[in-house]
Amino acid sequence: MSEALGRLEQIVDHEREHECEGIGAKRLCVRPVSVAVLPTRFGDFHIMAFWNNRDGKEHVAILRGDVVGREDVPIRMHSECLTGDALGSLRCDCRDQLEASLRKVGALDCGAVLYLRQEGRGIGLINKVRAYALQDRGLDTVEANRALGFRDDERDYAIAAHMIFSLGIGSVRVMTNNPDKMKQLQDLGVRVTGRIPHVMPPNAYNRFYLETKASRSGHFIDFSGRAHLPEQAEPVVVEGMPEP
Amino acid sequence: MNTVFPLDPHPGVLVVGAGVAGLACARDLAHRGIPVTLLDRGRGVGGRCATRRIEGQPVDHGVAFLHGSDPAFLDAVRSVPGATILEGWPSRIEGTGTPCQPDAFAPGERRVAYAEGVTAFPKMMAAGLDVRLVTTVVGMRPEGALWRLDLAGGGTARARVVVLALATEETLAVVDGLPPGDLELEGARHLLRMVAASVPCLTVIAGYPPDAPAPAWDVAFPETSSILKDVVHDSAKRPDPKWTVLVMQAAARWSRQHAGEPVEAWTQGLLSETARLYGEWAAHPAWTQVRHWQFGRTESGNELAGPLVVGGAGGRTLGIAGEVFAEGGGVEAAWTSGRLLAVRLAERTTG
Repeated sequence: MSEALGRLEQIVDHEREHECEGIGAKRLCVRPVSVAVLPTRFGDFHIMAFWNNRDGKEHVAILRGDVVGREDVPIRMHSECLTGDALGSLRCDCRDQLEASLRKVGALDCGAVLYLRQEGRGIGLINKVRAYALQDRGLDTVEANRALGFRDDERDYAIAAHMIFSLGIGSVRVMTNNPDKMKQLQDLGVRVTGRIPHVMPPNAYNRFYLETKASRSGHFIDFSGRAHLPEQAEPVVVEGMPEP
Repeated sequence: MNTVFPLDPHPGVLVVGAGVAGLACARDLAHRGIPVTLLDRGRGVGGRCATRRIEGQPVDHGVAFLHGSDPAFLDAVRSVPGATILEGWPSRIEGTGTPCQPDAFAPGERRVAYAEGVTAFPKMMAAGLDVRLVTTVVGMRPEGALWRLDLAGGGTARARVVVLALATEETLAVVDGLPPGDLELEGARHLLRMVAASVPCLTVIAGYPPDAPAPAWDVAFPETSSILKDVVHDSAKRPDPKWTVLVMQAAARWSRQHAGEPVEAWTQGLLSETARLYGEWAAHPAWTQVRHWQFGRTESGNELAGPLVVGGAGGRTLGIAGEVFAEGGGVEAAWTSGRLLAVRLAERTTG
């Protein structure tokens, strides 16, 4: 067993009975429950699964190298998107963003992708599909989308911050194009020492970002005329694009 | 024009539907100093939080008990003056079938009933509010910067802000009757079509003499019945019941299949099934009453995240609340959606 895995197992063991009063306005608490080796096509990782005090969603941290007690650890927060991550949907850029982050972290000696299991916009996959159905008809108004629910970012930040604390990470550098994410984590008590722009390599599915401008509503329209929504709560940046 | 209110147009908000969503919205608006009037076609407030008095004995024939986890909701539920609160009711559960609200017995969820009947809760919320009962809205249309409501019997009422707090299907029928509007209205219309999926519930109230073998449970959720969703031992909530009362609520599919039949036929169907499951005595009540809930409840997982607000010309505003307009469904969601809607309407009113 590697030294890194041994230290992660110690954390699981040590946190076995952890249940704090929670962090953030929603008082979220997570607890690492199990850890194992996870070889992937993007590199070799450890995967740590977390329990939480609010629902049955099992959040995970995908860890590269020995992060315990380390400073300036590169981290990426990724919000679950079944249609993009697993099915390769072209309505969003989640798959590209997830792959880019795993590839990048997989090439480092130390880093983490925090995979937050909060599906889509609002309270579930059904409402995400409803939002797409309204979009298909050109009826995706601000009001309708509000009723369908936007992603509860505040919740994602609280879970991510608690995961960072559970892992004993000293300080982080956030992989993001949205500086607000750093501030949100800082407000929850995470030491943030820097930002790493999250830039994706161009491919057939995101090349339009290089050739088109954002529409009036702020969304990029792809070559087939479909709006790509910023599901990961940040602007997409493709290599060759100026930073926003 | 034959207006039913002394002030035309109404200076504040007209809320159509005095169920828990409408009452929660109206109460919150009133607290903010906004004039509000509720219209309801029924003879009492509460909608599906419904209690009948049968020879003086209260019987809940819609919602059997309240449950929730939001501390504010639980505070409201427990602060009904003069009511005998049955904390933790039901505690004796028979069977492993799925409750109407699958989360009703989840960890962290609290359950409450009232010895006086479940309408104690909506009545408390309605106290001090301007509620017009037996007032049925038959039509709604925009009129300049106002909404105009046509009432059964020929009256009208007008206001800049109207809230629809009805079953989703009823709200959809009203919205479908509106002339084509801007994107916002059409988006709302389409969204309502997607979430209008209430299920019916045929309900039989059966009274048995006091010497009947009263069941040893509060609520039964039979796991093997395609006919019964649940049977509530209603008289277990009453301090000194004259009758042993069971409330039998039919499964959604069975309700759909039998709703068109004579009342006697489906009453017999529910009595026989209850007798098969819980004892022959249940087949022979001293009396029965029925209720056909056309929009009985919603399936969980269908809900939206919050209420809908649709703007129009000159500040004309339509708000929509109800149990599908907040996470989780049920009475707690209805209450939450009404309060959220009040906050959003107040934001608009004060700019």
